[in-house]
Amino acid sequence: MSFDVIAFITSLLVSTVQAGTIYLLATVGEIYAERSGVINLGLEGMIIMGALTSFIVSFYTGDYLLAVLLAVLAGLLMSLLHAFISISLKVNQYVSGIALTILGLGLSGFLGRPLTGMTVEKVHEIPIPVLSDIPVVGPAFFKQNVFVYVSYVVAILGWYVLFKTRIGLNIRSVGENPSMADSLGVNVTLVRYGATLFGGALAGLAGAYFFIGYQPFWVEGMTAGRGWISIALVIFAAWSPLRAIAGAYLFGGVEALQFRMQAFGYGTATPQFMLMLPYALTIAVLIMLSHHSIRKRIGVPAALGIPYSREE
Amino acid sequence: MRENKELVRMENIVKRFPGVVANDHVNFELKRGEIHALLGENGAGKTTLMNILYGLYNLDEGRIIVKGKDITHHSPKDSIKLGIGMVHQNLKLIPSHTVTENIILGLDRPKFFLNLKEAERRVKELAEKYGWKVDPKAKIWQLSIGERQQVEILKLLYRNADILIMDEPTSVLTPQETKQLFSSLRKMAKEGRGIIYITHKLDEVFAVCDRVTVMRRGRVVATKPVSGTTKEELAKLMVGRPVLFRIEKREKPPGEIILELRNVRALNDKGLLALKGISLNVRRHEILGIAGVAGNGQRELAEVITGLRKVISGKVIIDGRDVTNKSPRKILEEGVAFIPEERIGTGVVPNLTVAENLILRTYRYKPFSNRIFLNFRSIFKHVDELIKRFDIVTPDRNLKAKFLSGGNIQRVVIARELTGMPNQGLPKLIVAVHPTRGLDVGATEYVRNALIKCRNEGSAILLISEDLEEIMSMSDRIAVIYEGKIMGVLPQTQAKVEDIGLMMGGVPLEEIKR
Amino acid sequence: MMLKITRRGSISRSFSALITSIFLLLAFLAGSALFLYAGVNPVEAYYAVVQSFVNPLLLAESITRGIPIMLVSLGLAIAFRMNFWNIGGEGQLYMGMFAATGVVLWNLETHVIPDLLLLPVMFLASFVVAGLWGVIAAVLRAKLEINEVLTTIMLNYIAILFVDYLVYGPWKDPHGYGFPLTKPFPPSALLPSIPGTHVNMGLAIGIIAAFLVHVLLSRSKIGFEIRVTGDSFSAARYAGISYFKIATTVMMISAGLAGLAGLTIVSGIIGRLRPRASPGYGYTGIIVAWISGLNPWLIIPVSILFGGLLVAGDTLQSAMRLPFAITQVFQALILIFVIMSEFLKKYRIQIGGVKI
Repeated sequence: MSFDVIAFITSLLVSTVQAGTIYLLATVGEIYAERSGVINLGLEGMIIMGALTSFIVSFYTGDYLLAVLLAVLAGLLMSLLHAFISISLKVNQYVSGIALTILGLGLSGFLGRPLTGMTVEKVHEIPIPVLSDIPVVGPAFFKQNVFVYVSYVVAILGWYVLFKTRIGLNIRSVGENPSMADSLGVNVTLVRYGATLFGGALAGLAGAYFFIGYQPFWVEGMTAGRGWISIALVIFAAWSPLRAIAGAYLFGGVEALQFRMQAFGYGTATPQFMLMLPYALTIAVLIMLSHHSIRKRIGVPAALGIPYSREE
Repeated sequence: MRENKELVRMENIVKRFPGVVANDHVNFELKRGEIHALLGENGAGKTTLMNILYGLYNLDEGRIIVKGKDITHHSPKDSIKLGIGMVHQNLKLIPSHTVTENIILGLDRPKFFLNLKEAERRVKELAEKYGWKVDPKAKIWQLSIGERQQVEILKLLYRNADILIMDEPTSVLTPQETKQLFSSLRKMAKEGRGIIYITHKLDEVFAVCDRVTVMRRGRVVATKPVSGTTKEELAKLMVGRPVLFRIEKREKPPGEIILELRNVRALNDKGLLALKGISLNVRRHEILGIAGVAGNGQRELAEVITGLRKVISGKVIIDGRDVTNKSPRKILEEGVAFIPEERIGTGVVPNLTVAENLILRTYRYKPFSNRIFLNFRSIFKHVDELIKRFDIVTPDRNLKAKFLSGGNIQRVVIARELTGMPNQGLPKLIVAVHPTRGLDVGATEYVRNALIKCRNEGSAILLISEDLEEIMSMSDRIAVIYEGKIMGVLPQTQAKVEDIGLMMGGVPLEEIKR
Repeated sequence: MMLKITRRGSISRSFSALITSIFLLLAFLAGSALFLYAGVNPVEAYYAVVQSFVNPLLLAESITRGIPIMLVSLGLAIAFRMNFWNIGGEGQLYMGMFAATGVVLWNLETHVIPDLLLLPVMFLASFVVAGLWGVIAAVLRAKLEINEVLTTIMLNYIAILFVDYLVYGPWKDPHGYGFPLTKPFPPSALLPSIPGTHVNMGLAIGIIAAFLVHVLLSRSKIGFEIRVTGDSFSAARYAGISYFKIATTVMMISAGLAGLAGLTIVSGIIGRLRPRASPGYGYTGIIVAWISGLNPWLIIPVSILFGGLLVAGDTLQSAMRLPFAITQVFQALILIFVIMSEFLKKYRIQIGGVKI
């Protein structure tokens, strides 16, 4: 009997990590952009364009590496547009981001229509010797595909770079007090572009993972709001890449649980309420965070959302 | 030729902004070992000139020569390499980062890994050289304003700056901290550095500077050694006409108590205690001046009285009525006027018209509106009258407020606040926070006279200002606030600058009297 | 490669028109590229667009499709004026459809409401229910300072799923052959046409709403408060405006209008409720509101323009097998180019040595 429980928990954890990886990649990317002062509401559009790009490339060429690279490129290009509009043209960042999400959703729907329901082979797992044999934890964390391992590196390196290196100090300073950084010789524009593009690249990567590493069947709008949830997760993570892991796996866990409950027959008649879970949970998390928001207020980058110009 | 003592030479600098020439063929130079004052009133062009020197602004015409090199087109990064450093009036620090992180921002080395331990050691060493106690690991928000300014200067010294630009450094210091700053500056000058000291305060020019360049309306009007001039002469050069140093105030016996605060405690935005048991009162026909270094609870004090902030204990009583924690609207209806610190943004809504701003607080009352709609005819009538009465310069009442000059914006605020509620006449209580900050002499006189007129006619005025001279010349009684407590209250006739300075630094009145 | 940006003074009307025209042209060129990619002749595609307005039957259809867009947009204009980022138009629209349908289906069982009163009750229901759905986000923002972009979007997903549940479940028409559709609405629940046209009464509702929104914003106390709050949060507090009151009022109206848009869909276009009844009108409304500069009078023609794009999309879809999403792409492209043209009107760019 206990065997069943362990097997259940193990498989739940495995699914949790898999479902959470897209959130982790997207959230860390967005953390970098927001730390520099740029909020990217185009995240949802960039992720799905990454997913579509990886699908089309892998479908027609079979070259998965190329698929990932081009997906990252797609994210980079879209975030370049966002950066140009909101940093150089100093147009309201919300407007720019939302326009890009609408563009991304529409474009991916348009370009993906002929391929609806098609599929490619999912990326294989690569078990790590020794570590993957540890009961429960082993398969969950060390018997996953390469994207998941990359996400670990991204989170840990992401934290280290942000807090222990000069680049990270520049990014954080530009997001807190850009005029101070400017007066000390830091190129505010360059740093913000860099952080925003990094966020876009990770969004593209997240999209590539989501498709060829997680759910390789194309459906229009398949990201179903994960990009938006990632933006909420940035707040949950208090703008720290390590904390992002907690939020990502929380929502990954909810998703994994959803699948299992449906498999067990719960809510087969009314699947929609199950599907509402992540969105309701997001609102619940935001409400919870607001309670301690006074303490967390030290976390919000002070210049977030405010364009910077030297001569006023 | 022996070592050239000239550090900086700015020739014929011209800088234009839309509608105004901020620097009009300005010449300025700085020598090694001197503290050179750049004197002028607000808007004279001093900060613009120094921003050009530092590389934050581009100049339109002219040349800049630093240590023999022509650096006319350069960036802040170049300035730093040349040894130029600037301490701005608004301290440019990041509160959530540590002292060291703030100091090492923007340096070329170390390039990748930060090596904080080594940097912290150097910071401590440097601070001790000047007798400053600064913890390199402390976060900026934990430091006092005086300490923060020390961090700003450390930023420059860490980069071996030998040309230091200080922009109005004492506006955030107590008199005692100011003395300490002056001795540090003299030490730095002795070491061979050159210091440019921007100020509008004549006393400071004589206290610490060797030479003074006076600017007025974008032009240099004189450059003299300090020993060869007087306060009156400089004042005249600064303003262009003889300046009256006293304000005419009529003797009036104070009337009944209009505002009373009993043991008020309140939190600031971060959730920390900002007001720690404030008790004071203000009477009719009286101006109570609140002196104190910025950041000691003044903002919270004003907000608690006007209903913009909740108190956690204590009472606020206006004209006998308990208004503690009532809404801003209710308090407005009690006859309270508020001239806020933030002129553009809180005082005036930039994208609304002058007319709309003039009814910003009274729009919901008759005759300006009935239940649902605004009554534009009454509004415009009232607005035109206000524009005339208060000399607001605007081509059209429907001009967006953001296009007005600073002085005119303040006139709009004054016109709106001092006329009070419709059909109520003069406001009972006026809370004025830094009302003349950033205004030129003409506008400053206007504002001060308007306040004094209201006082004479029966209002009670709570004047909060960082300008000690303003407090001393306008107040009937002076209170000093320090870290959320009142250190003492003195009648103006008995107030001495040294005592006020001590209170501003945290010494209660009882201790001074001993 | 220095990019230097300086503010312009005011520009002449002809220059402004020139900039707008250039960018519209650029948008069309970008659109053409899309069409070419899809294997469609751009000229034929644009011809279809023009036909949407020239052909009287298609024109009526364009206007009909434009009505829900108009209503959502008007609601958004109010919210955006206050700087309240209501991205929840889509979900609020769905809640409006839910309420209107609910009234009809309930009445089909109970026959309590007389025919003449059915539409007015539906009207009220869709406005109030959608309004309350929107107020949730307002309360969360006013009381807990939670970012309304995230809450309204999450509420969108929830509302759409909720309607899905109803139409696949308890509200499924037993005579519907298993398709996810409700029973068709009786004639008394359908919006009548404007006599002599093929356009439903929704147009009148839309125009009246535009008028009311205009009056609200420019002449009423609430409109004043909206404009103050939108421009300066601290000034609004200082002026004694209660953010809670103004946010909830504004969202009630804004979401309520979106709810009315939902009514015009189920009662004016489809005649019943089905999943995905709205092809993204909530998001189109955002674009229309921005492009129109939040001006209610401009919103009317621009919505009809976008309605025409949808109709053209239909034609292209069936005639040339072009996926529907192309209209969304087009919309987003138009928005991006409008942003850039608005920017160029206010600022002058200098790249390297070239001045624009």
